[in-house]
Amino acid sequence: MKKLLTGAAVALAITAQTAFADFTFIVPQKPGSGTSVWTEIVAKELEKHLGEKIVIRNIPGANDIPGFNKFHNDYQDDDKVVMVSHGGNGVSYLVDEVDYDYYQYDPIGMMNLTIINGYREEIDPYKDKIIFSAGSGMNPDMMAHILLKGGPGLTMERAKEIFANDYVFVKGMSGGERRLGYQRGELNVTRESTAAYNKYYTDAPYSKVWFSQGVYNLETGEIDSDPNYPGQSIHEVFEQHWGVKPSGEFWDAFELVRNFRDVMQKALWTHKDNPETPRLVAAFKAMAADPESMAKIYEKTGKYDWIIGDDMKSALTQLRGQITRDTYANLVNFLQFTGKPAVFKEAVIPQ
Amino acid sequence: MELELYIWMLLIGTAYGFFVGLIPVAGATTGLIAIYSFVGYFEDPYALVVFTTAVVVTSSIGDSFCGVVMNIPGAGGAAATMIDGFPMSRRGEAARALSAAISTSWVNGLIWGLAVFLFLPWYKNIVLYFGTKEMFAFLIFAMTCVIFISSKYWFRGFIALLAGLAVGHIGMDPDTAATRWTMGIDYLGDGIQMIPVMAGVLAFPELLSAYKMQAEKIYLDNNKIRNQLIQGVKDSWQYRWDGLRGGFIGGFIGLIPGIGGNIADWFAYSQTAVSAGRAGEKLGNGNVRGVIGCEGANNAQKATSYVPTILFGIPGAPFEVIVMGLLMYVGLELGTPSVLADEYFFEVLLSSYMWSLALILPISYMFIKHAVKITNLSFKWYFWPILASLVWSSTQYTGLIEDYYMLAVCMVVGIFLKYFKFSRVSFLIGFILSARVEASWVQFNSLYEWTDLFTNWLPATFMVLAGIAFIWGLFFNKSRIDFV
Repeated sequence: MKKLLTGAAVALAITAQTAFADFTFIVPQKPGSGTSVWTEIVAKELEKHLGEKIVIRNIPGANDIPGFNKFHNDYQDDDKVVMVSHGGNGVSYLVDEVDYDYYQYDPIGMMNLTIINGYREEIDPYKDKIIFSAGSGMNPDMMAHILLKGGPGLTMERAKEIFANDYVFVKGMSGGERRLGYQRGELNVTRESTAAYNKYYTDAPYSKVWFSQGVYNLETGEIDSDPNYPGQSIHEVFEQHWGVKPSGEFWDAFELVRNFRDVMQKALWTHKDNPETPRLVAAFKAMAADPESMAKIYEKTGKYDWIIGDDMKSALTQLRGQITRDTYANLVNFLQFTGKPAVFKEAVIPQ
Repeated sequence: MELELYIWMLLIGTAYGFFVGLIPVAGATTGLIAIYSFVGYFEDPYALVVFTTAVVVTSSIGDSFCGVVMNIPGAGGAAATMIDGFPMSRRGEAARALSAAISTSWVNGLIWGLAVFLFLPWYKNIVLYFGTKEMFAFLIFAMTCVIFISSKYWFRGFIALLAGLAVGHIGMDPDTAATRWTMGIDYLGDGIQMIPVMAGVLAFPELLSAYKMQAEKIYLDNNKIRNQLIQGVKDSWQYRWDGLRGGFIGGFIGLIPGIGGNIADWFAYSQTAVSAGRAGEKLGNGNVRGVIGCEGANNAQKATSYVPTILFGIPGAPFEVIVMGLLMYVGLELGTPSVLADEYFFEVLLSSYMWSLALILPISYMFIKHAVKITNLSFKWYFWPILASLVWSSTQYTGLIEDYYMLAVCMVVGIFLKYFKFSRVSFLIGFILSARVEASWVQFNSLYEWTDLFTNWLPATFMVLAGIAFIWGLFFNKSRIDFV
């Protein structure tokens, strides 16, 4: 009887914590995943400035789409629900069948992050065949590799040739298997968030930084130098190797998918015209201005900017402005060639 | 002050872990997920190390009780215990079965815990050596072994295996990363989770059968219980090679990330079935060897799954994903040079592992005499609490209504399979192996040729063993079990 009562008490306590939470943050991945841990850290800091309790609900699924679809379909009337998206959702927004649409929500805040790519020291990534782990969020990196190998004015056809003849895109690997495969040498190129790269590879003798995906400049719409890896952003590395700036139809397609992934690498949304939006935005601004809170977050993510409220709206508008029919069609076509069931969605193109 | 805090964490973690282990199908993963609700209160990160370690160790011991006394799997990695444990319980030998299970699990936990934490850096080479082709060949070998634990209704068992493989295909196609067979239901995008399948297919039909069963009045006085406890320890010694073999299998599976802990106890059970078959014995009807063989794998797998988690930051088992996430939250990032250089972390980890083991042994043995009294009660008394705990465990995935629907579907499937005598063990094995084998095949296919399986010594060894297991299973297998 005591056991039963204790069990009931524990279950009640856990249920009560969710029931009496002020805000629920939906994370489209499993507990313990990168975005989930990031959300735990941010939510803990945000609670101090919001003055309310935040509970995290994980809704995982293929390509991290189901959680965001759930938010879109079932939580449009709930003022207390916030969606946490990550870079993979940005890629899926462009080329997968999804219900969600970034432009139908109130943006709260996002981190303009980037991704670091490294290669094993025994290879020359410009000449040797690249062996890299596949996955939706990996497509911008795969395209960056082909871009760097292909050189200036790379056409879509030439990019396809490089992918077919000089590239192994290893499918079916989890993040952990990817790290182990790279360490073991089965993969010869890898990619990680800045924090993860610093953690796992900065001191590893077998790994060299190839390039950072750079940081998106909100004013110019161009990719800037990465403050954490100066002189090593993709456009800088390209220019160092090839002597000219990157350009061409493949570069445009790459830039489009890269920006949708990395600018919204970690972003928070709530439903349109939510009366709670101003309070959430104010709390984010207060958190971003609190050096103690930011120090704790930077420790996990690297030092990158927060884009909050109206600034995030402008950034989204700017991102959408980069979608032209030809560039988008090239992107979809190339991803289909690599085996991804990418779809061309008319609704994505700005009217 | 610090020591006092750690002692409290150890005691609370031990009690909580043991309690979680007792909850049907919950297991360490579910218990650890619940810690997220209060992880913010851990100001000392090492206190969380003590707490999580205690939960992992003690839940692995606690989950034997459900299988033996209630015929409900305690956790995904301890499901095979019920096949022989419950029939023993029905004939009045619950204390003996529990004693054999706990002593075997405990000893293997001790052996593999010491082996892991004392020689941790040494394993780096093994983990790194075991690449894609080795993994693929090992999975073929493991699959060949476990599919021959079929029931005497072997054709229906084969159909059930295929059905399990098909259900495991639901979710994401590892080749295209697109959803597959989800019927447009987003919820199925990440595949069907292990816990509702365990709860619905394996546990619920047993719970229903037991509800209709007349409780036999098996009076076990203290003297009988004491004798059974001693007999259980003697059994563990007599069949020590079954337990140690199980420990070796569990230890190996835990060491290699990506295989998945849920296969360990079935693989160990299959090897015990082979060994028992050679001695003219049969498992599945209350043979203590069936309990010992699979329980050997249970704690050993938990211990060695710490190796890839700590050394590489790569979870060796599903529960390690949660451990990593929790520790990352308090600033301990496993697999990073800072943690690997942190001697205090290893000291705390080893001490909490060993103290948890030391604490859980007397607690478990003291609890046995209370647990066996359940066998005197009609199932009607605890049908509803167990059903409630099955529902609770199965709805920790998202907590949304879809979790309840999924459990309901799994319950219907479980009843159907049991009623028409399609082996649920075969179904479960097909389900467990499906996604893992397919992902491994996709990786292998990207990187290697078939000939690579036979031109490297380790994959070649696994392939030869798989061939032997196949021929034996097809023509000489006499160890089919009665359980459907």
